[in-house]
Amino acid sequence: MNRRAFLGRLGIAGGGAALASHLSRSRGIARTHEGTFELRAPESNPKRGGTLRYGVVSSPAHFDIHQSGTVANLGAQGPMYDNLIRRDPRDGQTIIPDLAYKWEISADRRTYTFHLRKGVTFHDGAELTADDVKATFARIIWPPKGVVIPRTPLFSAVSEVNVLNPYKIEFRLSEPRPSKFILGAIASGWNVIVRKKTLEENDYNLRQVVNYPGTGPFRHVSRKKDEVWILEKNPHYWNKGLPYLDRIEVYHFLPFSPELGAALLAGKLDYARVLDTVTVKRARQTAGMSSATYYQSVIDAVWVNDQKKPFGDSRVRRAMHLVLDRYVLQDVVKDMAPYLVGGFVYPFSQSATLAEELAKRPGYQRDSTAATQEARRLMTDAGYAGGLRNVDFVVREGPSWKLWAVAIQAMLKEALNIETKLRTVQISAFFEETQAGNFDLSIGAVVSTLIDPSDYFNAWYGKDGPQNYSKWHNPVFQKVVHQIDRELDDAKRNALVRQAEAILEQDPPLLPVAWEQLSDGWYTYVKGHNPRNIFGIYDVVRWDTAWLDK
Amino acid sequence: MQKYLLRRLIVSLPALFGVSVIVFVVMRVLPGDPLVAMFGAEGFTRLGESDRARIMADLGLSDPLPVQYLRWMKDIATGGLGKSFFRGDKVSELILHRGPLSAEIGVLSVIISWIVGLPVGIVSASRPNSFADNVARSLSVLFLAIPGFWLGMLIVLASLFWFHYKSPLLVVYLWEDPWTNLQLVIGPAVVLGLGQGAYIARMTRSCLLEVIREDYVRTAQAKGLAEGLVVIRHALPNALLPVITVSGILMGFVLGGSVAVEQAFGVPGLGAALVTAVVERDIIVVQNLVLLYGVIFMVINILVDLSYAWLDPRLRFQ
Repeated sequence: MNRRAFLGRLGIAGGGAALASHLSRSRGIARTHEGTFELRAPESNPKRGGTLRYGVVSSPAHFDIHQSGTVANLGAQGPMYDNLIRRDPRDGQTIIPDLAYKWEISADRRTYTFHLRKGVTFHDGAELTADDVKATFARIIWPPKGVVIPRTPLFSAVSEVNVLNPYKIEFRLSEPRPSKFILGAIASGWNVIVRKKTLEENDYNLRQVVNYPGTGPFRHVSRKKDEVWILEKNPHYWNKGLPYLDRIEVYHFLPFSPELGAALLAGKLDYARVLDTVTVKRARQTAGMSSATYYQSVIDAVWVNDQKKPFGDSRVRRAMHLVLDRYVLQDVVKDMAPYLVGGFVYPFSQSATLAEELAKRPGYQRDSTAATQEARRLMTDAGYAGGLRNVDFVVREGPSWKLWAVAIQAMLKEALNIETKLRTVQISAFFEETQAGNFDLSIGAVVSTLIDPSDYFNAWYGKDGPQNYSKWHNPVFQKVVHQIDRELDDAKRNALVRQAEAILEQDPPLLPVAWEQLSDGWYTYVKGHNPRNIFGIYDVVRWDTAWLDK
Repeated sequence: MQKYLLRRLIVSLPALFGVSVIVFVVMRVLPGDPLVAMFGAEGFTRLGESDRARIMADLGLSDPLPVQYLRWMKDIATGGLGKSFFRGDKVSELILHRGPLSAEIGVLSVIISWIVGLPVGIVSASRPNSFADNVARSLSVLFLAIPGFWLGMLIVLASLFWFHYKSPLLVVYLWEDPWTNLQLVIGPAVVLGLGQGAYIARMTRSCLLEVIREDYVRTAQAKGLAEGLVVIRHALPNALLPVITVSGILMGFVLGGSVAVEQAFGVPGLGAALVTAVVERDIIVVQNLVLLYGVIFMVINILVDLSYAWLDPRLRFQ
């Protein structure tokens, strides 16, 4: 899917709230007696039964989905839970009803009211009520001591969650926010609904609870650690007719690993997520197999320690930003994973500068001569015409980062006479080092939950952003982000994003290297799914509309 | 013999203590934070100082090192070996679950190394500098030089692309389904066995060449015994002692080599568990597995020593 098509889909997502009530007329959704709608597979003749053998990283360090930040949890646990609202599994973008069959947003955009389906039961037989939804979101928004939930900042504007009756709940905001941001946050695949009783019984911490009841289309059968997690169809699933599959066997494989590719190509798996490029090519060439590459919610970047001289000087940071040849960097790793060239904004998002515009900008041009000249001038102005020596360059362990680090080392040396010393560290040491500021330059990756700039502008570039490893701060940028967070008009908001982007270009908090894409592969008899349009691997994880044509 | 055994066991204790102290200290001195694996990269960056301190205290990593060490020793004494930081799994259960696979791979690889190495060594020594000897020596050098994990990956890829074959995805024990189990362990065992077999072949050749020149061998030949009988019955038993010693040492290499080879074949044995634990900084799992490897290595060495007396009656347990 190209960027234009993706933006088109995103536009649909943005209008998801308004469209939801009309979606029932579209193909694949059946209207029911309560005015709710239910999902169907996009195909007209889905078959029932069978076991899907699914390969994905699924050996989580703990079992608390809310506290997690890795697909190791959602890969296997996702199909067991539902959300209040969700991304449509058939297009990966549109926000559609889930446990809430409809919702209203007040005119002042400060109150979101959700109407819950009646008769939905958890896997242990208990009925879902608004108390469960409140307990779930109260824990996400205001985590108790000892509970750390990465999505908490998305709800910083929520001041109250009130149960209006057993099937009606409202979220009150202290100040208005763009509805697509709030709905996107609620629809995030991480924010699954769990039982109030489960939370209470486990002191609001589910890290070591393997099987806690959800309302999802599949339920837990058994788990062999680091091998397989077996799920079976929930016969009491509220969405009548779903799921089509009888069973899912989720096999644990590391992402990009040759074992995952081998298991798929040998026919031991029906579907594999996050494949290496060799397997993807092979799948594309093999009759009866298919694959898709989609955008992932991750930027790969070099952080520049703002607290250390001379990297606190914006001219030095911009100079380094300008001399990175991003097309070469994309080429360096093309055999490992598909990456996109981009700046500080998701390059495929509605807020992004168009690719053709970006390609005219210094730092993103194919011919880097002008950018290099400007970079050298900036270094001279900053008093570092002779370059820099002994720059400590921390490299996160991983094939892409190691290759990029060597390429960037050469680019900095050649263009600006900056001599770096590479220091490769394991992931566990990488975050320790970067958080402690023990680096001059540091290459790695960070993830965001939403494609909305309000999420990652704050988390990655914000003054106290948890992933602002550079410890960068620009008061003007901070002010613009404050406005972006609150601006309700799309056009005005986009203009503010452009303004913020211009600041980031001149005073870079990090050096963008590339934006990730991931690939899945499967046998064509696996139907009812569409990974091509998804954003990241965290929102569409339920397999409820999937079926096997065999 | 019992006294000898007891003495060897007592002598092994300081070495094991040394291993335990080294792995214990190293795991705590090396940079890296287990909280990254526990919370994920995103979650980790959102942990406050107080959260980190509290979680480290919950994990027992805030206590003074001697206290942590004594707690570990207590865990060993009670047989539980402690719990993984993640998911709370008992390390003893992990070893019981994955250990049989690794043990099978180890034993099979030794058998393969003898099946391959001994005949090759004998043929080489029987016809020194012949065509067969040159081929055998070249192959020995080749398998000594090839890294096991690389050969493993080649085998995995070749069997996939040529035969559309991939070994079973799940752990199956020998007593549950011998055929499926064999498919799991045979790949790593062959790779490790060929590497060891190269050592065995070279050692067998050089030992046999020495022994063949001895007077008693010449006597046997003078009696008119067939060449094969002279080698098998007279020369080989005397040449085997150093080969057995090498086999014991090689078992140590099997333990080390299995870590990478299990990864290459995707076999969920102890080696793969050790790699995962190191990446996750799961200190409790790493220190117990390293100590276990140390114990196994020492036991193998004691068994090798005991086998000397059985093979050579001239030796007594002193």
